[in-house]
Amino acid sequence: MPPSTCLWTLTQRSPETAVRFLSKIHPQVVYFSTSQARYANPSPKKKTMTAAPKRGTKTLNTKKGRSAAQDTGKRPAPGDRKQARKRIVLTNDNALAVASLKDMDKADTTSETSQGQVLGIPEATVDALRAVEAFKTTQGWNLFRRPATLMRKETIELAKVMNEAEGQKRTLRRILSGERLSGKSTLLLQALSMAFVREWVVINLPEAQDIVNAHTEYAPLPDSQPTQYTQDTYMANLLGQILKANSSASNPFLAKTQVTANHTLPVALPANASLKQLIEVGIVSPEASWPVFLALWRELTQPGRPPIMLAIDGTAHVMKESDYLNAQVKPIHSFDLAIVRHFIDHLSGAKSLPNGGVVLAATSQSNAPKTPALDFSIEVAEARRVNPNNIPRWNPYKNIDPRVMEAFKDLHSPTAENGAGGVNAMDVIKVGGLSKDEARSIMEYYAESGMLRAKVDDGFVTEKWSLAGMGNIGELERASVRFRI
Amino acid sequence: MVRGELSRSIWAAAEGLLSAPRPQCTRTMRYVQRSMRPTTRLISTTRPRSAELMDETLTTSPEPFTAASEINFEDEVEDEEAAKQGKSDQKKLQTLRIVPASPSYFSAKPTFTDDWIHLSALLRSVATLPTVPNSEAPRVAWKTIDQYRIMTNEPVKTQRYHKMMHILKRLNCIHPSLMPEQVRTAMRRYMKDSQPGDVVPAPGVIDEWGRARGVGRRKTSSAVAWIVEGEGEVLVNGKSLSQFFGRLHHRESAVWALKATQRLDKYNIFGLVQGGGSTGQAEALTLAVAKALLVHEPALKPALRRAGCITRDPRKVERKKTGHVKARKMPTWVKR
Repeated sequence: MPPSTCLWTLTQRSPETAVRFLSKIHPQVVYFSTSQARYANPSPKKKTMTAAPKRGTKTLNTKKGRSAAQDTGKRPAPGDRKQARKRIVLTNDNALAVASLKDMDKADTTSETSQGQVLGIPEATVDALRAVEAFKTTQGWNLFRRPATLMRKETIELAKVMNEAEGQKRTLRRILSGERLSGKSTLLLQALSMAFVREWVVINLPEAQDIVNAHTEYAPLPDSQPTQYTQDTYMANLLGQILKANSSASNPFLAKTQVTANHTLPVALPANASLKQLIEVGIVSPEASWPVFLALWRELTQPGRPPIMLAIDGTAHVMKESDYLNAQVKPIHSFDLAIVRHFIDHLSGAKSLPNGGVVLAATSQSNAPKTPALDFSIEVAEARRVNPNNIPRWNPYKNIDPRVMEAFKDLHSPTAENGAGGVNAMDVIKVGGLSKDEARSIMEYYAESGMLRAKVDDGFVTEKWSLAGMGNIGELERASVRFRI
Repeated sequence: MVRGELSRSIWAAAEGLLSAPRPQCTRTMRYVQRSMRPTTRLISTTRPRSAELMDETLTTSPEPFTAASEINFEDEVEDEEAAKQGKSDQKKLQTLRIVPASPSYFSAKPTFTDDWIHLSALLRSVATLPTVPNSEAPRVAWKTIDQYRIMTNEPVKTQRYHKMMHILKRLNCIHPSLMPEQVRTAMRRYMKDSQPGDVVPAPGVIDEWGRARGVGRRKTSSAVAWIVEGEGEVLVNGKSLSQFFGRLHHRESAVWALKATQRLDKYNIFGLVQGGGSTGQAEALTLAVAKALLVHEPALKPALRRAGCITRDPRKVERKKTGHVKARKMPTWVKR
């Protein structure tokens, strides 16, 4: 029977009769429904080709036998990499020992005759310098047999400043500025080493960034107005450095000197304690480190004590707001940190060193935040040397930090005589390029060390001197020792 | 006819033939045609050549052309009738013969033929003079064939012109110290107006401060360098060499002209550079310093050339083209 006629017969009946009729044909009636499909078990998913994971996304790699075969190299232990990065290497066994190299002694640091000579740093001083972290990883100490420095013009200038400070018991403050790689940190190191040789007390803040970058704990100093903040761990570490650096076998000043004044310390001191014991108290109990430091400072400024060398590197970092926050979650200005406050008071001339001494602040060109106030002060100080009537003026469109400007106000006066502490108490030492004689001297030292395999004659010296940007010593070293072909 | 009128009209006709220039309007029309069609369609419509030119070429020609001698009309006329004046004038007019200036007047390219004959004769006359090899002969920029065609206004064939060039080049090879003035004048006709070496750049000067200035370019950088006698100090845009160029290689490039001639300790450099990157700036300075150094010591030119400080490197970034991915890279081929 053709289906069309069949359907035709359906349409001629009424719906009810049609249903009955259908039920007669097919005993099971199936009504239209979607529930069966909905409640059915889901069919197994088809395996389709998916796009490869995007580059950079992490995927689970469960293939057998792959991870085992791959990369069996040994990873450095935790901390090894950092240690390798921070390691200070001061010798190179492959470099030749320079026979003519003389150690720096006290006479060299007081006279001008040593200008242009390369002088070795004495063993004890090297240890002390290591203790105060004066050596930097970026400096080329690891190229030569033992640490030695060139007594350049600026070094002699600094030596004269130290002579004056020691002889007339003056507090002289100097800022070291200059081009990148011009040897500012090395000049600071030379100043520290001269201070060690002269048996001064040396307190060095090795890197200003470490004080303000909020990597050490801090706490408000009680009874300070405005609130200052102490960094106990940092101070305890600094006290350790002071102790280690200033107590050599030849100069047991800290061990021999007894505490004279009566200090109020949170920790009890033994009777007739020496300065060494005082410092050790601060090292052992960091919460007492700041009072101990103040007590030590008071002892050091007693009459009859040696002059003090106070130094900092990377000064620009403390010339702005620090990364620490106060209780109101506002950034703390670096000058409100107790140790920085202490340093800046002496740098600005607000406090002086009664036994004489030098306050040194080295700037950096490679790791320095923007500090328009400091830059401007240095610019003014350099300009007034050339012509006191033609000093630059403050650019009003730059963001001024009034506290920094206040600290450097001695640099802003047209003549150097008006500042606190007398004539030329505060000044800038511009670390420029070497002269050709100095360049020749240092290159002869390179050649004698076997690190420079060329004939050091006038033409060669001039060529390297010009290529190094008119005697920039760091570039000179790069051009003649590091990048040699 | 009134007496005297005849002679006047003959005179006027002769004058017209000799000196009247061709009307300008026809010439412009012809030029228009020429510009549309190639030169082979040129019609020989030589204009009368100027007296100056004829003086130059024909009167001084080594083998001068002589036309047939003039016919003496007077003798014939004398014998017959001296009384009949008017008749004799008419007869004279009938026997009048106009002699062309050039024997090649009736050829297709008279000027060229004249030139050719003149040069061949000249070569024959000076063939025995000693010569120098072609490479040592003075460099001459000859007129191109198109320039010669325009000059002569004749459809000269390339091959013919080349043959003439052979003669000219042979004449040019005569030893310069023995070169006759006649040949020199003759060759001038075939030279271009401007010759190589005509334009001599103004020599550099050292000013009252002792400075010499040089300009150099490379890629998209340009540099100006002032050099004074000194002891090897270098300032580039007010900065020291090490501050301005981080790479040692660039510093060496900048002072290479002085370094290669061992004069780094004799001069101070003040350079101003702009444009481009550090490599371009350093190598622009090389050129600028070399040029300024040449002002101080011109004898250093060969040494500087050997050091590669004289030649400007003309390479630049090639422009991107439409339809290309970069300057030359084509899009990848896709099958539909």
